[in-house]
Amino acid sequence: MPDSSRFWELAPTELAPTDDPIGRFLAEIETVSGTTVRLGPAELVGEITAQLAAAGAHRVALTADLGDARAVLAQALAEAGLHVSDYEQIAGDRDLVRTLDATVTGCLAGVAATGSIVTGGLAGRAGALVAPTHVCVVEARRVVDGLSTLMRLAPRLGAGSMMALQTGPSRTADIEKTLIIGVHGPKRVHVVLLDGVLAA
Amino acid sequence: MSADPLTSSTFAQRARVQLAKPFVRQAVPRATDNAVKDLHARFAHHDYDGLRELGREIRSRTIAELDVYLDRFATALTANGVQVHWAADAAEARGHIQRICREAGATRVVKVKSMATEEIALNPALQADGLEVTETDLGEYVVQLDGDTPSHIIAPIIHKTRGEIRESLSRVAGRELADDASELTGFARERLRDAFMDADVGISGANFGVAESGTVVLVTNEGNGRMCTSMPRVHISLMGIERVIPDLDDLAVMLPLITGAGTGQLITSYVSMLSGPRREGEPDGPESMHVVLLDNGRRALLGTEFQDVLHCIRCGACQNVCPVYRQVGGHAYGWVYGGPIGAVLTPLFRGQAAGGELPHASSLCGACDDICPVKIPLHDLLLRLRRQREDVGEAPRGERMAANLWAWAWSSPWRYRVLTRVAGNGVRVIAAAGLVGRLGPLARWSRGRTLPLPARRPFSRRQDRDA
Repeated sequence: MPDSSRFWELAPTELAPTDDPIGRFLAEIETVSGTTVRLGPAELVGEITAQLAAAGAHRVALTADLGDARAVLAQALAEAGLHVSDYEQIAGDRDLVRTLDATVTGCLAGVAATGSIVTGGLAGRAGALVAPTHVCVVEARRVVDGLSTLMRLAPRLGAGSMMALQTGPSRTADIEKTLIIGVHGPKRVHVVLLDGVLAA
Repeated sequence: MSADPLTSSTFAQRARVQLAKPFVRQAVPRATDNAVKDLHARFAHHDYDGLRELGREIRSRTIAELDVYLDRFATALTANGVQVHWAADAAEARGHIQRICREAGATRVVKVKSMATEEIALNPALQADGLEVTETDLGEYVVQLDGDTPSHIIAPIIHKTRGEIRESLSRVAGRELADDASELTGFARERLRDAFMDADVGISGANFGVAESGTVVLVTNEGNGRMCTSMPRVHISLMGIERVIPDLDDLAVMLPLITGAGTGQLITSYVSMLSGPRREGEPDGPESMHVVLLDNGRRALLGTEFQDVLHCIRCGACQNVCPVYRQVGGHAYGWVYGGPIGAVLTPLFRGQAAGGELPHASSLCGACDDICPVKIPLHDLLLRLRRQREDVGEAPRGERMAANLWAWAWSSPWRYRVLTRVAGNGVRVIAAAGLVGRLGPLARWSRGRTLPLPARRPFSRRQDRDA
């Protein structure tokens, strides 16, 4: 266990006391080819609708960790002409899951030093993974400093049978070390940092 | 199944084959240089040495009381609804996995890249049972298509050109794919997506097992680890017993070490922490989860002078910096693990008779010690294995005779003086006569080296006179 109070001087996955957690979180995501936006609750639905339209998404699944905001978002997306499902309703139907263009999820936590978003099995293991575009809503209050804080909090996050950190889109460099974005997970990861809480 | 390269050929023979492939000597150093450069960049403003000291401390504390932590791990897994299986050797591990697949009525298996499953030669056994097995890591998928073996712990097709990969994937596609890494990856993605969706069983290794919480940790970039443990109705994780760590806090140390040392990344795209099968109210995930704990020669190392090798977290960093590995690549080592860690593990797991020459495939430069994220004294272990080879009588007869002669000559001052004078003059005569390349058994040694001429008056004699 890293008992040293200066652990942050050793590990790049920790935050220095002078670092701004939200700023660093967003910057790290951009470093690994993710995209970010920071906004308030009033702009949330509009932003996600615009993002999905820009991605050319038609079939979209929403996971339960969006909380009360999910119903509002679903309605707005449906009105915009998208085909919207709750992820848990379609998770068992492989053919439907395959045809998803995008998923929108919430998250349990964000890790500032690494730009990671943390999702749990309770909202679904594969929801954030199966579609080419993943939009993740992160409430600002959920951003923690570094991995050591996340690990300390982990047992209390209510992750269920799986807790996963995802950092940017999926990638490989197996072919002559050429970096390719988008392998088995999404090609595009867009993080919406919400100054406020997910509520209806 | 083809012959075991380790027992049917020598290191020198295998190395010669690899050295004849110009791409291996270009690509391996280039790729590994990048990984090392990225590691240094990653820690430019942090203390890699301090962090690896913490890593060493965690690993050494765990291995010193391995049974305590394994018990705790097994208990926590069971409480999480995971079925735990113990395997003393490779055959038992294969047996467990074959039985689980049979009982699940499985026909299709998807795999996450795992060196442990390579170690127990799992795929041929599953295929013999009629199962369709698909490797889902892009590199491992190509390895499987070619009937090849991985040549680096984390970069399995580091030895293949894009052209070769394109040929393999085009064969599967039934059409000519473009010579473009992005298109090749895209094709594999579509192909493997079917495999994920249709599979009954997902098999992974484990980067770490967290004792306190009963969690299997998988570190990947492509997302295949998460797919294999989300889609199929059964998940089996094969984990070497040494991969356990005490608690979740330790992950905050081990994760930046494994990703930094492995690929130079701050963190990989995906880190999955799996604590059991799908629970009530969860929309997806496997109905059952199994952890197979593999001994296969590990427990026998506890309490020996080789115990520290159990600290290894399989990051591949020692391969990246090894001047021998960088020239000959992983296949020259003849078994699953190449590079310094392979030269230590192979004789320990496969015996001195089969792997005893590998510790000699090292210049003992110590670059592996300096980069190892958990500070394993690899070059000490290599030396100890060289000595053990002598002790068990597996060293070549000539080498043993030479060593005995050396010991005899150096154990008395007058023998030492007489013999060094004879040798000094002898070497000068040989060099003057231009005989260096024709020294019989020594000719091979002198082929790549020059024989320095000894000073006319040895240092020791000058000392005597000055005194």
